[in-house]
Amino acid sequence: MEKYLSSQVVLDVAVSAAQKYADLIVDHDPDDGAHVVPGELRRFLARLRLLHGVPFSYLVADSDLLPIESIRFFYLDRAWTDALVQGALSVGTITTADRTQLEAVYSTIRNEVDEAERTIRTPQGEERLKGAGGAISGFLMRSRVVSGWPNLHVRGYSRDVIDDDALTTAAESDPDRMKVLRMERLAPAVLLVLFDGIPAVVHVEEPRQGIQFGVRLNPADPPAQRKAKVKVRDNLTGDPVPPKNAFTAANSVDVPFRKNAPGVINVTELRKRLAAKSPNSGGALEPNEYALQMLRFPYRQVFGDPDNIEGQRFYDVDKFVVSVTLTSWKTTVENNVIKVLP
Amino acid sequence: MPKTGFFVLHSNVMPKLTAGRYDLVTDQTGLPFEVAAQHTHVTVASPRYVMPTDQILSTFPPANADGAFGDRLPQIVLKRRTLPWERNPAEQVQTSETPWLALVVVAEGEAQLSTATAVADCVTAGTTLLDPGDKDVEQGLYLAVTETVVKKIFPCQEDLPLLVHVREVDINDTELANGDDDGWLAVVLANRLPVFDTANNKPVRYMAALVNVEGQLSALPKPEPPNDFFNFELAQDWTVLANVNLSVGPDPRVMGGFSVGNVQLPAPGGVFHAPSAAARSAAKAAGSAGVRGGVVNASTLDGATSMHEAPVGQQWKSATDQVAAVALDPDAKRLVRDTMASGFRLPIELFAVEKVLRFPVLAHWSFTTSEGATFETLMEDLDVGLLGTRPAPPADAPAAGPGPEVIETGHIGLDLRSRRGDAARAWYRGPFVPCPTTRDLPNQAQPLLAHSADQLRRVVPDGREDLSLAAAFEIGRLLALSQLSVVSALLRFRSEQFGAGRIRELLSHIVGFELPSIAEQRVDLGRLVAVSVVSGLAKNPGQTIGPRRPVADPGRELVLSPDLELDQVIADGLGLNLGAVRKLSDQIGVVAALSRSTVPVAKPVQDVTALRVALNQELQSVIAVAAPPQILTTGRRASRDAAPARDALDELIDRAVDPGEDEESE
Repeated sequence: MEKYLSSQVVLDVAVSAAQKYADLIVDHDPDDGAHVVPGELRRFLARLRLLHGVPFSYLVADSDLLPIESIRFFYLDRAWTDALVQGALSVGTITTADRTQLEAVYSTIRNEVDEAERTIRTPQGEERLKGAGGAISGFLMRSRVVSGWPNLHVRGYSRDVIDDDALTTAAESDPDRMKVLRMERLAPAVLLVLFDGIPAVVHVEEPRQGIQFGVRLNPADPPAQRKAKVKVRDNLTGDPVPPKNAFTAANSVDVPFRKNAPGVINVTELRKRLAAKSPNSGGALEPNEYALQMLRFPYRQVFGDPDNIEGQRFYDVDKFVVSVTLTSWKTTVENNVIKVLP
Repeated sequence: MPKTGFFVLHSNVMPKLTAGRYDLVTDQTGLPFEVAAQHTHVTVASPRYVMPTDQILSTFPPANADGAFGDRLPQIVLKRRTLPWERNPAEQVQTSETPWLALVVVAEGEAQLSTATAVADCVTAGTTLLDPGDKDVEQGLYLAVTETVVKKIFPCQEDLPLLVHVREVDINDTELANGDDDGWLAVVLANRLPVFDTANNKPVRYMAALVNVEGQLSALPKPEPPNDFFNFELAQDWTVLANVNLSVGPDPRVMGGFSVGNVQLPAPGGVFHAPSAAARSAAKAAGSAGVRGGVVNASTLDGATSMHEAPVGQQWKSATDQVAAVALDPDAKRLVRDTMASGFRLPIELFAVEKVLRFPVLAHWSFTTSEGATFETLMEDLDVGLLGTRPAPPADAPAAGPGPEVIETGHIGLDLRSRRGDAARAWYRGPFVPCPTTRDLPNQAQPLLAHSADQLRRVVPDGREDLSLAAAFEIGRLLALSQLSVVSALLRFRSEQFGAGRIRELLSHIVGFELPSIAEQRVDLGRLVAVSVVSGLAKNPGQTIGPRRPVADPGRELVLSPDLELDQVIADGLGLNLGAVRKLSDQIGVVAALSRSTVPVAKPVQDVTALRVALNQELQSVIAVAAPPQILTTGRRASRDAAPARDALDELIDRAVDPGEDEESE
């Protein structure tokens, strides 16, 4: 009778059917692959991990911690965001059985949400990054820069490989670059950026919308007497005349304006001045040479460059002023502990 | 083509011919006879009053943008490289290095953008155009500006060639080319910086208009000695016209004698005739006495307008917001242009005393300069630090309070009212911390899971509670609860996915072979197992269940041998007594004898009804599994309500119901 229906055959069929069932109800996301946590829930939890929707007072508990015109770097506390997710998962756990089940599945959920964090912000054409969840860092910037220059470019690099003023086309998935997990304006003047890792160097750049032409206004001038300068370039190579980061009499000209007209440039006179100062001009500027002189590239601010070879201002991001020092806090703790344990 | 990341600047690219109608005459000489000249008419077409949108590659600043554009020259990029030189602004047929296009930037209140007007009226009256019949559209827009404004903000004739150049880029470099076809682009620059109003510290809305200067070169300003600085002030401020009551019919306006109220219109030259303080106080005194020396107090500036103030919500609405709002309308294409031009519709032409010039506008867009400082200064003045750093107080500021209590771990001391009502201090630290933290406790195999916020409350050695994680837990719970869809997703996940996860884990180790697949639809586990079992069995019943019983049993074996009589064999087979039949047939004949003798028949099975009932019951229970009663479901499980596709079980049931009759009749 071995040839016919046996308990082994029935068990095998049942096992296979159960496997099929498990496959059916497991979430098969065309983008993300198979997961135990359904896609909608996974994405909600991942967004929660990236602090979408968390009230700002929970992020920054006191306005003194983020003063006007400031940038504040931070590490993301994974334990905090885990607690956030645990809170969300606790919804609807009524019985002990529910909680036991949740505990059994929690490590899977956590790993899957770690992975989903990276898919919340997926720029077009970028590779999808996978891997276990690591450290997350970022910064908060509260400044008029955020409101006045919409679409700022923020890039984090794990190594300081490119020059502070060099252009790059490295994608976000490039090993030297840090993926930006979230970049959002929380308020018109508050920008939150989260990096997938701890960057060595952060570049914040003016929005680049094609090639732009312009001057440098001097912001220190009184409103009634505003002045502007243009740095001259070599007419053959297009390179700016050194020094790079200063306006000197030799490498810049004052922009002439039309009398009684706000902001109208006296183009003919500016051409004369540029022709006189820029190298290889041949005495007069052609329209293309004039355009070359007026080209302006986006300004880039570099944070955390340790070597600062390029001579630009940099910021050491380890400095930190506190109102209660660690020693005095330790003393308090020790005193208390001594009181508790006589 | 230049390398990626590089581009080449050219001064100009001249077309061979300017736009217009040409007569091509073919003349042949050197033949012994006369050949009539052949005339061919050729039209070289080029935009004149409207720039086709497919020729505009990009603009800077972006249309309707809000930002700090004060140190950048607005520009428009055109796709056809020869466009700016396809007409001669001096109204000649020959090409000229002076382009016929200029980009002028006007602030709100300086100029008037018309509504659609016949193209003949789009230029200043009295301008003679070369071939006025050459027009690409019937109606166009024009910019009406007073002579004063033209003198102040329009480019000089000498400036025009400098403000236009040609750029050659690599078309594969998206940042430079932006989707152009050949990589050659004509760029028109403005001559005016759209500066921020630093004096009054308020944003300024500008409109950039690409105008046609054909035939009006003489109206452009002459070069003047330069100034090394400028002061923000509108070239001519017509914004007062926004307050003028225009409900007066056209007649009084044309005939004169129409008073615009005590609105002070700008005078030629841009100098305001502001009444002196003495005159103003005199007028005030006169007004209070009921006499207004010649000034008719029409509704406008002070009284009525301030009474009917717009609601606060509208006051805060910027022009940018308004444009964004109308962009939602189905008729957006027209409305957006209209709304963008709304600040530039003041009826300047009606009120200006001096000559008003008209320039055809080929393209226009507006933007707002809302920031006066520069990127560099703002970035360099940023206060940089790790979260928790507090800025140094200004030297001359009065001593402020002690400020928040921040410790090196990033915790901040906050007042706490405990559950018992005691006032206490507690530590709180948000997700942003100034030092790297560990995610899990050391030596911990599984991540710990808290089920309630109280599990995450910590007491630190200084006696205070650390409520950071408890607060995170609570806000996470509230955020999940605030979204109904998340709550239901969680419950659904709990009801089915937990089980699935466990099954998956368990089965991944023990399953080794493939079995018949079932229709790809969501079913419950019990039914699925039943269907799989039955269909698995039905696939090959001979091997799994056993061979089928034959429909009829064969009769007893016939023993045929020469010594046996045939009659005897048949009688044995039918169970007849051959001797008795023979005896009877001798008396009444064979046929009658056979019909009288009885054939023994097997006794009928007694409990066939009971068996049939039992079979029906089994069948019903199998059907109940295969087609479960309808359950009210929601969401994605609703597909279960649909009739499931026929599978092997259904066929088996059909076969069991129909041919069952055969078995009984046997």
